Amino acid sequence: MNQPIVMSDMERRELLWKRIHRVLPFLSLGLLLALWVYVSQGENARFPSPGATWDRFLLIMRHPIKGLTIFGHVWASLQRVCIALICAWLFGIAFGILTGWYRKSDSLLTPLFTAFRSVPPLAWIPLITIWFGLGEFPKILLVFIGSIPAIVVNTHAGMRFVQKIYLDVGTMFNANARQKLFKIAIPSALDAIFAGIRTSTSAAWMVVLAAEMLGGKSGVGFLIIRGMDSLDMPLVLLSMIFIGLVGALLAIITQLTELLLCPWTRKQSN
Amino acid sequence: MPMDAKTVKLSLRHICQSYVVGNAVRDAVVDVSLDVFDNEFLVILGPGQCGKSVLLNIVGGLERPIDGGVFLDACRIEGSDPRIAMVFQKLALMPWKTVLDNVAFGPQIAGTDKAVWRAEAQKYIDLVGLQGFEKSYPFELSGGMKQRVGIARAYTGNPEILLMDEPFGQLDAQTRYAMEDEIQRIWQQEKRTVLFVTNNIEEAVYLGDRIVLLSNGPAHIKEIYEIGLPRPRHMTDPDFLAIRKKIADNMDLAI
Repeated sequence: MNQPIVMSDMERRELLWKRIHRVLPFLSLGLLLALWVYVSQGENARFPSPGATWDRFLLIMRHPIKGLTIFGHVWASLQRVCIALICAWLFGIAFGILTGWYRKSDSLLTPLFTAFRSVPPLAWIPLITIWFGLGEFPKILLVFIGSIPAIVVNTHAGMRFVQKIYLDVGTMFNANARQKLFKIAIPSALDAIFAGIRTSTSAAWMVVLAAEMLGGKSGVGFLIIRGMDSLDMPLVLLSMIFIGLVGALLAIITQLTELLLCPWTRKQSN
Repeated sequence: MPMDAKTVKLSLRHICQSYVVGNAVRDAVVDVSLDVFDNEFLVILGPGQCGKSVLLNIVGGLERPIDGGVFLDACRIEGSDPRIAMVFQKLALMPWKTVLDNVAFGPQIAGTDKAVWRAEAQKYIDLVGLQGFEKSYPFELSGGMKQRVGIARAYTGNPEILLMDEPFGQLDAQTRYAMEDEIQRIWQQEKRTVLFVTNNIEEAVYLGDRIVLLSNGPAHIKEIYEIGLPRPRHMTDPDFLAIRKKIADNMDLAI
């Protein structure tokens, strides 16, 4: 009883386009790679070739810089980011809830915060360097400063605009103020809070590079400056590739965590 | 107690509500007095934004009237009362909670034992026909199923009065008819005093023991109709159509 599958011209064209769409990303990536090979050819090329970059990768794995392979440096940067982010999340979510939910603290504290966040984090570098030198703490502090605005702003917005109807449901069932905050307002703000977590993570990854460029002995930011200082272009490019890869990985991890912890936001993200 | 004995369960006395809109004061409800009988299905029918939801919000304790009072079993009530529950117009299901947790919200807030609220929620999930969907999230449900969750949530906590604020207003016509039958079945199985707000005459005549017809805003009572038709009713029945026409002729047009 097998019926032959007959496709109309339109269906066939649709299928063809679907396949083409699947191939297109690889096409652009392939073109990028070809371009890379092309510009890195010749004796006086100002750009390291893929082969040279790969060799540099093997070299740093065999002869670590300052005792760390590329993975070691990535890990050093990630550690700073993690410590700073956890502090920023704890403080930022609490601050955002406080100012988003209670009108008095909003009027009192939000102007301060607005003044603080209109100064870009990198403008803090001189002060922080003078106060705390070039050690581990000033770097983490800088990342903390860079990641705090996103988490505060998003949490604040989520808490400020809790839909009234959810609170009405709470009133209907005689929820007290505490229950309205913890059982209704905070859960309903979770997707906004997660948006803050995503944005602050990418901000932290950006700022940690700048912080590490100031000096120190580890981290991808240090590595890329080391490459520049010693005219080691393959090292610069290798660092850039790893910075991009880790950045993408962090974005994917935060997104997956959100899906896992807040499955109901799937609808919005689709 | 004989079946036809009518005890007054809920009384509204001289309810007035006004809002400040810009520089003017706008009346929403003007001097509404009403008795609702025990286990009665009372429909409050009115055009457009006439203030019927305001009336319901006042009974539910979500708004405080500027004048008048609400009496439950002859005692004045202020604010929200655990004996009164509401099915909301907009799907006020919490998207971060599963069906079970949405339905059990009331008892959970009240601090009831887990075993108790679980059993209670399950009873009403079964009543509205949602068994098997306990762990689903609202976004995974259809419009009619979401409204079933809303009904089950109102039933848990075992209220004496159920307020329904145009619960089927946002459903498509097919689902709406099905849900009208469902709400009758549920109500006949678990009798409660119901105040059901709608702007749909057909729905009102199909469901109501009595219909309170409100004027266009500001709302006051125009007329109260006793619907003596036996259940289940049929929308094409001549008696049904006659009542429908009588009410339609008397109803204000929403502007």
